[in-house]
Amino acid sequence: MSSPASGETRGTKLPWRIPIVILIAALILTVVVVCAVLGDKVSPDSPFLQRLRIGDTPPSATHIAGTDLLGRDILSRVIYGARTALVGPVVVAAGAFAMATLLGLVSGYLGGLVDSAIMRWVDFMFALPGTLVAIVVVGVLGGGYWTAVVVLIVLFTGPDTRIVRSAVLEQRPLPYIDAARTLGISKTRILFIHILPNVLTIILAYVVLDFAFALVNLAGLSFLGLGVEPGAPDWGRMVFENRNILFSNPVALLLPAAMIMLTAVSMNLIGDCLFERLAK
Amino acid sequence: MSGGQTRPLLNVEGLSISHGVVPIATSLNMVVERGQTIAIVGESGSGKSLTARAIAGILPRGISATGDVVLDGISLMRLAESELRKIRGFRVSMVMQDPFTMLNPLMRSGDHIDEMLRGRPEFASRASRAAEVKRRLAEVGIADEDIARRMPFQLSGGMCQRIALAAALARDPELLIADEPSTALDVTTQAEIITLLRRVQRERHMSLILITHNLRLAFSICQRIYVLYAGSLLEVGDAAAVERQPFHPYTLGLLLSEPPAEVRVTRLVSIRGSVPRAADVVDSCGFADRCDWAKQICHAGKPPMAPRNASRFTACIRQDEIQGELDALRTAALSAAPITPRRGETEGELVRVDALVKTFVGRRGYPIRAVKDVSLRIMPGESVGLVGESGSGKTTIGRCLVGLETPTAGDICIDGIPAADFGAMAKADRARVRRTIQMVFQDPYSTLNPRHRVGQALEEALGASGSPVTPERVAALLIDVGLSAAYATRRPSSLSGGERQRVAIARALAVKPRILVCDEPVSALDVSVQAQVLNLFKRLQAEHGLSYLFITHDLAVIRQIAERIYVLYRGEIVEEGPTERVIGTPQHPYTRRLIESTPRSASQCTT
Repeated sequence: MSSPASGETRGTKLPWRIPIVILIAALILTVVVVCAVLGDKVSPDSPFLQRLRIGDTPPSATHIAGTDLLGRDILSRVIYGARTALVGPVVVAAGAFAMATLLGLVSGYLGGLVDSAIMRWVDFMFALPGTLVAIVVVGVLGGGYWTAVVVLIVLFTGPDTRIVRSAVLEQRPLPYIDAARTLGISKTRILFIHILPNVLTIILAYVVLDFAFALVNLAGLSFLGLGVEPGAPDWGRMVFENRNILFSNPVALLLPAAMIMLTAVSMNLIGDCLFERLAK
Repeated sequence: MSGGQTRPLLNVEGLSISHGVVPIATSLNMVVERGQTIAIVGESGSGKSLTARAIAGILPRGISATGDVVLDGISLMRLAESELRKIRGFRVSMVMQDPFTMLNPLMRSGDHIDEMLRGRPEFASRASRAAEVKRRLAEVGIADEDIARRMPFQLSGGMCQRIALAAALARDPELLIADEPSTALDVTTQAEIITLLRRVQRERHMSLILITHNLRLAFSICQRIYVLYAGSLLEVGDAAAVERQPFHPYTLGLLLSEPPAEVRVTRLVSIRGSVPRAADVVDSCGFADRCDWAKQICHAGKPPMAPRNASRFTACIRQDEIQGELDALRTAALSAAPITPRRGETEGELVRVDALVKTFVGRRGYPIRAVKDVSLRIMPGESVGLVGESGSGKTTIGRCLVGLETPTAGDICIDGIPAADFGAMAKADRARVRRTIQMVFQDPYSTLNPRHRVGQALEEALGASGSPVTPERVAALLIDVGLSAAYATRRPSSLSGGERQRVAIARALAVKPRILVCDEPVSALDVSVQAQVLNLFKRLQAEHGLSYLFITHDLAVIRQIAERIYVLYRGEIVEEGPTERVIGTPQHPYTRRLIESTPRSASQCTT
């Protein structure tokens, strides 16, 4: 009988150094999250206050990023815009995660007809041109931002389901599942207590990538006027509104555009890093 | 040390391998003479494969080696990669374990040999190379020219291994390093590959380093044995001498824990505990924690390799004092009286299988007939062996019995309940069958859910049988399989292979079954741990009156555990009878081939 402590060191990993790029990405995301949570407490000015008399001005001491055509402070609007930039993608990622996990688990474990039905639906989702469908649905149904969020959830569920299913298929033939089956453990318990914890890390890594895609898609829809209502501070909407003052105050367009890009890229990098770390 | 005036072909001095700051192997010394065959014997984690790679200069990234590797006067460690490339293949060549991943899946098998011949002026033309490829294939026993045009996936494992060997030999190396060349193959194929390797080595008067975990194999074909353990050499000597009189307690333990293929013993001698990591035993004898003779001095520092007599070395500092005891144990083991297993009762069979057929749907809808018309009986308290190679259908039969597969045709009766189709059974019957028959799986690393603690796994199993789940019952189960109750809080990742397999057995025992289907339960374990688990099976049978269906390819294992065996060949039972009778006087040609394939020890080869 060997003492339990003897094997405890087995499986210790070598120290893992966080790459500098990931640190920067995390820093950018932290800033965006702080802006989204605190909003008016960190913004230097009201994002809605119009100063029609001054109109668009280049960056100055009073307005660090200048003002737009209606004289609104660009920096404050960008800080406020972090809310819509985060909330929508978070809901999309969470929704797609929940649906894809459920469908993927059922499809991968049960197989047969259920699997075929779910997979054909996924194939159909794959065949749809995502952005175009979003434009059509939001355009026809109206409802702006939140309709777009729902459409994106449905669209993202397809590919994610396939990922979850393949991860489940990898676990299914393993002896620990067979052992649970010979003990007569119920299917639900095998699915949620045995398989789910083992595929969760892979799903989470993909969900982070969903967030980045949703951010870019929602910004795109806002740019086209299908997202947030006019006047609301939103990065995609700001790129649309301020494209006319590109030469008098380029910061008004470039700052929100840069924020969309930086946030999406940061999230992508972190997702990739998580995937490397967890899924392999 | 090498004896003659001639320089040895390979001289390894003070070779240390490390992964960053973590040591993997420390100060290894080895000498290989021309035409000599040496074996590096070690269990998993001993560093044997990395030692081989360090000699060939192909260590994976992040792993570095220091020390000196001298091949015929050239120091390989100081050579640039471009210089090394001129040595690899031409002077030193390697054959690896997995025949399927060693060949490029997109290259025809003949092209692997052709590629190696390309650089040589005498094979400049395509025709001369084609002729040479044919000759090389003939050397490794492939007469069929068509094989050269096939893709690796169209060939069997043994065939792939032959191609890989021919490719490794194509540049006529002076030294061949074979890293577990037969481990991934079937028993009968294993013997063929080893015979081939031995023949080629003799014909070419080539030096051979055989890396293996299989002591019996090492003793049967090698002249010198290097016993590697947790990154350090423990014993070096001539094969026959080491086998007759081991100087290190670890070597003795290994020799004793190998289940003998010739006799059945009451209890196998086993080494307690499991193999430590090299990094954990830097400052002590690597084996001290598992050694019965360990004293304070063994933990005080790493004992150096010291000569004990002509050409024998041991790293045991207490060898002088304990040699007498070691010899006594060795002699006792060699003269162990065989025991005749008791027979099971003859009435009221526990498991009855009649005309079982299982057909799988293969690629493009072709049926694969895994099991064709198999009938077998298992009596209460009886231990039955099911022997066969991979693809013989033995695992499928086991899976049908526990309801993981549904047979295509035939009847299964477990404890009087028809249990061919678990889906069609009444709920109460199904529950009763599941409490009667349980399974233990082969791979200890995936038999437990990595996310569940040991206690959680056992609680779930206890709950499944409807019995009350209490910490005391979990503890009782753990103690039953020889683990302490403290294991309940551990995760599988912190357990060794043997410990995991014990937990898996405890999980199966939780429902108090009457029979366990054991699918190769010890084949993935280290030799020193194998014996522990086999002893556990024997003890549990005696204490609980368990029956076993022991599925394995290993005749030595089956001899120790089964009273009656069925020999399975291509989905059919070709021979059946009491173990002693079947192994002693096999009737079917296949059984005979299977028995002849088991490697015999050096001493038995000479007698």
